[in-house]
Amino acid sequence: MNSFFKIFAQLKDIDRRYIFLLIGIAVILPLIFPLGLPLGVTQPSKSLYEKVESLKEGSVVLLTFDYYPSTLPETEPMSYAALRHLFRKNIKVITVTTIPLGALSVMESVVKNVAREYDKKYGVDYVNLGYKYGYQAVLLGMGRKIEDIFPMDAYSNKLESLTLMQQVKNYNDIDFIFIVSDNATVDYWISLVNAQFGTPMGAGVTAIMAPKCYSYLQTNQMVGLLGGMKGAAEYEKLSSNPGKAMRGMDPQSIVHFLIIFFVILGNLGYFVTLKKEGV
Amino acid sequence: MSWEFFGVTVAAFFTISLYSFLYKDNSFYKLAEHIFAGISAGYYVGLVWHSVIKQQLWLPLMNEGQYLLIIPGILGILMFTRFISKISWLSRLSLAFVVGNTAGITLIRQLHGMILPQVRSTFLDLATLTGIVMIVGVISTLIYFYFSKEHKGALGFVAQVGIWFIMISFGASFGYTVMARVSLLIGRAQFLLTNWLHIIK
Repeated sequence: MNSFFKIFAQLKDIDRRYIFLLIGIAVILPLIFPLGLPLGVTQPSKSLYEKVESLKEGSVVLLTFDYYPSTLPETEPMSYAALRHLFRKNIKVITVTTIPLGALSVMESVVKNVAREYDKKYGVDYVNLGYKYGYQAVLLGMGRKIEDIFPMDAYSNKLESLTLMQQVKNYNDIDFIFIVSDNATVDYWISLVNAQFGTPMGAGVTAIMAPKCYSYLQTNQMVGLLGGMKGAAEYEKLSSNPGKAMRGMDPQSIVHFLIIFFVILGNLGYFVTLKKEGV
Repeated sequence: MSWEFFGVTVAAFFTISLYSFLYKDNSFYKLAEHIFAGISAGYYVGLVWHSVIKQQLWLPLMNEGQYLLIIPGILGILMFTRFISKISWLSRLSLAFVVGNTAGITLIRQLHGMILPQVRSTFLDLATLTGIVMIVGVISTLIYFYFSKEHKGALGFVAQVGIWFIMISFGASFGYTVMARVSLLIGRAQFLLTNWLHIIK
């Protein structure tokens, strides 16, 4: 029994860097040697996919890139999966960001890559509005007239010179808003745009934000939700477009097992130590 | 060596430098941290200059004669009076505009877009178990935050139930936070193994 207590006492004082090392190994090995663990699809992801699937050819979707580069592993795969799905269905896409740092470059790179894949023409099939400071004013102003807020697109073209923007004046001409966000802007899209203009929307958000965003599903303010890398992987699976998120789910599962093991071990050690100390 | 590989190598260097903090604090970590802060600030200034001052103020004012823009322009300049103590009070005019404007928008936004839809949908599903759990959760949690009476007797019991609901929500948030942090590590590992080392495709 004493040796049992001794093991837990030693584990209690273990250098945390060994745990970091184990987590690192648990991430790297499954990336190099994929296991293909099963991936289930949740209803909120399915609802979002089905909403996009139900849009007719030629519909207009506003796709937002409201995230910082620090959350790219979760959000970028969502943008790729969403844009590929939209272009495959010949839906017109307008992209925009309300985030200043890095989002503009990410948006440009994602849009250009996917447009090239699907042979889409700028100005006709898609338009990149770019970034504008002050998201509350931007979101509200776009409800009146997009051109007032974005006189020019991300490449300094006058909006009136772009074919797509000649038919899209405000939210009334937009069929769906697909938000990809890692911050509170998703609340603003819901409470300003959906509440005041009634435009249907769905979102892909980081895992940290997901618990909060579930409440918008229940109120029908959002039609669907992708939560974190798992949500992105689900969308990739649904749209038959495997990408980085699906590849990342093997290490995700293994690290979670490892963390659960550490949590159980840590708690067990805590209670055993308490018992030994007679508390 | 191509420019692309050089860029990827620089990114890989900074990634490893930042993760080196897990071993212990060191100069590489500090260097990466400071460079990130500096580049972010510079990038932000350039972006605001181009997308706000130039696109939304200077060009419409000069090329299109939108002279009403002089008012927000002046309000913006007044913000800088904070650096001159004698006239720093002038910046309060701009701040008053920002505070008033934000309060007005937020009030409507919160009430119309958040509170009313949430309250309405809480009581929609009384016939199902989920609906009942939701109502019990909402009411008991709200009662936990009612501090005008001591939490004893029936009130104490309901508040205790509220604590359970709060704890469960914390647990869900913690689980999602773990997933988010692991995702970031996976993203960096994918970058190093794919873009930099080309070990995986």
